[in-house]
Amino acid sequence: MDQVVFESVTKIFRHRPALFNWVGRERTGETLALKNVSFSAARGEVVALLGPNGSGKTSTLKLISTMLLADAGSVCVGGFDAQREAGKVRRQVGIAVATERSFFPRLSARENLDFFATLDEVPRPDRARRIEEVLHDTGLEEQTDTLVMKFSTGMYQRLGLARALVKRPAVLLLDEPTRSLDAAASTHLWITIRALARQRTAVLLATHNFTEAAAVASRLLLLHRGEILTYRSLRSDESADDLRALYFRLTGEVDESQPAIQRAGMPS
Amino acid sequence: MNSSLDKLLAILRRDVLTAIRHRSGFVVTLVGVFTELAAFYYLSRAIGPGFRPDGVAYFPFLLVGTGLYTFFVMSAQAFLSVVQEAQQTGTLEVLMTTSTAPGELVILSSISTFAGSLTNLAVYLFAGIAVFRAAIHADISSCLVVLALSLAIALALGILAATFQVAFHKGSALLWLLGSGLWFLSGTMFPVQSLPRPLQLLSRAVPFTYAIDALRGALLEGRSIGALAPTLAALAVFAIALLPLALCGLSLSLRRARQCGTLSFY
Repeated sequence: MDQVVFESVTKIFRHRPALFNWVGRERTGETLALKNVSFSAARGEVVALLGPNGSGKTSTLKLISTMLLADAGSVCVGGFDAQREAGKVRRQVGIAVATERSFFPRLSARENLDFFATLDEVPRPDRARRIEEVLHDTGLEEQTDTLVMKFSTGMYQRLGLARALVKRPAVLLLDEPTRSLDAAASTHLWITIRALARQRTAVLLATHNFTEAAAVASRLLLLHRGEILTYRSLRSDESADDLRALYFRLTGEVDESQPAIQRAGMPS
Repeated sequence: MNSSLDKLLAILRRDVLTAIRHRSGFVVTLVGVFTELAAFYYLSRAIGPGFRPDGVAYFPFLLVGTGLYTFFVMSAQAFLSVVQEAQQTGTLEVLMTTSTAPGELVILSSISTFAGSLTNLAVYLFAGIAVFRAAIHADISSCLVVLALSLAIALALGILAATFQVAFHKGSALLWLLGSGLWFLSGTMFPVQSLPRPLQLLSRAVPFTYAIDALRGALLEGRSIGALAPTLAALAVFAIALLPLALCGLSLSLRRARQCGTLSFY
């Protein structure tokens, strides 16, 4: 059964003028974030969401997490509608966003995770063990009792991942999860994602990193200006370069790295 | 039920740990309490014992008025700060994706917030009575009823401030109204009867007026629940009207913010 189902989803952000706008020059109008988007992701699949800035990747993840509500169409997670049964959807979804600062700065990593795990109704007898596990999985064992106000950007991002994992979600949403991670931590995360997929977790991963997409994804969802350009399975032999070529061919964007690569005499 | 208790304990633990680790905050609050009480004590001495508003000495009159008024404003401020901080750090969005329903989260958070404000009120009143010798003649049961109703009104005001913050990103405007616009209408520092007739009528639309009046009666004059019944009834009406209105407003503003993608805007 499909774990995440998008059916003809449209999301529009309306820029409403502020009160007394006649004294300002605030922009009005609307931005079409997603236009009639339909796709599904099954348990155990890792879907890489690729697309330029503003293509709708983060909006897609936020709609699944119920942070956003769709203007048209339906988003279902585990058979529950994200608008009407948001509570049931939230129980199944873990999300780690790209700019991760959403913690209580004067609590330690462990205390933050304990707080969010409690709100996520992780059973009390399992909580401490699970927190230890995710701190280990994200390489934060040595920062367990450090106040997060002292964390670096990369540590924040790891803690965000730990928080998403601690509830053992059926659907894991990752928005540029390795943006601030070093190479070793990124590789470790990819191993973790593949392990989660083997445990039947559906993973949706928004990324600009073709290597990352090629390393972990079983399916590719390419978005451009809120529309799906392609949604298909990835072959095991498809490399990051293949994905790069596909991306630039379908989006019509200019790959500015190619002249530099050619000048350096490197194979493109 | 167990789960809700577990969540409440987690929220209380978070707030206590955060407060303890803001050590300077504790000290500044305590110094502020004593400085304010000292100022009121010497103000009442300067005015002299002849001034007895509502038949009580001026210092206890000020103690109850300013203590309870500060409780209302602090509660709303604390609630607003929680929402503003959550918007700035991005925790609001994440909290809205946990398995805890937003309504439950608000109620549980409010218990923690009001525990802090109530402790502050208790310290303020205790210091006024024990250190500055304010004369009291308390009826404990009526004091508790007044405090319970005041708590409900403060909760509603806090939720309304949070609603303004989520909807218009301007919860501080409501707070300004509470902090600056209403204090002189509610008999905090002088009897409402000193105001011109139209303002006296307006003061009757302010719940603080009834709360302060009732607590003065209960704490300083030992008036029973029966004797305070009309004032308590008015307070109850405010609580019954404001609480559902505030909860409904917050629910709508959160839904709208999720529709517009403005949950973390501030």
